[in-house]
Amino acid sequence: MFSLPAILYLSAFLFSIGTYGVLARRNILVVLMSLELMLNAVNIALVAFGRVHALSAASGEHGGQIFTLMVLAVAAAEAAIGLSLLLVIWRRWETIDLRELCQLNG
Amino acid sequence: MLSPWLEHLIFSIVAIVAVAGSILVVTRRNPIYSALFLIVVFGTVSAMFMLLDAPFLGFMQLLVYAGAIMVLYLFVIMLINPRDGNLPKEGGAIENSFAGGVSLLIFSLLAFAISHSGEVERLSNAGGIPALPEVPLSHGGIAGFGLELFHNHLLVFELTSVLILVGIIGAVHLAMRRKSTALTSEEAAEGAVTADV
Repeated sequence: MFSLPAILYLSAFLFSIGTYGVLARRNILVVLMSLELMLNAVNIALVAFGRVHALSAASGEHGGQIFTLMVLAVAAAEAAIGLSLLLVIWRRWETIDLRELCQLNG
Repeated sequence: MLSPWLEHLIFSIVAIVAVAGSILVVTRRNPIYSALFLIVVFGTVSAMFMLLDAPFLGFMQLLVYAGAIMVLYLFVIMLINPRDGNLPKEGGAIENSFAGGVSLLIFSLLAFAISHSGEVERLSNAGGIPALPEVPLSHGGIAGFGLELFHNHLLVFELTSVLILVGIIGAVHLAMRRKSTALTSEEAAEGAVTADV
């Protein structure tokens, strides 16, 4: 038996760790991975809320899980596009350092 | 059905592994280690889904994240093969403490919201998750999930397929090797100079 707040705290922790990774790291690969971490944290919260509202939600018994499946698909598309952009950046500038890609800086 | 204390034990172990894994993901310098720890985190998230009575979603999580997305990441890491020498220098103390401050702020806001929410309190006072609410045994299985997906959320499903299609076409288009994206040697030299500046 485990409680809803415990899962929500875990989800919040994973989300803030992902935020830290996005803000602090300079490696584009790790930044993309931290984004995946944040999406996963949100997924946990969605499934947990979907579970406790399973019998009362207007969106049906599996509403939260279907939402999570949608997020899963968005994450897959995001990873594909992000990684191919990274590949283009690597071919053009031979770097995966975000701070070197600052040519739009005013 | 697992006994409550066993479920609690599994939950605690999974949560600890998830926390440790996620911290290791964002702190490792080499992206390969980050990717491998991220697979561990995805596994724990999948276990969490199964504890929350969503076995189908748990397996989808393993299949899509640990199976497909992480293979994509590892493939790209091997393709560009950043050696130790040309891994990006990580930020200094100021940057790290700024990022740490922002993420701490977000965590404390979320924790405040969780601990002060009347709805969460009401739900957790009523009992733990496996007992509340009692769902039918078919909950989270393929049959119920699929029926609901195709009956009530068909539009979402179709839009998702369009999104995936756009993603595929975009990825192929971007990653295609073309003459115009290849640098001439002059441009490369110029790029190196601007990068140094």
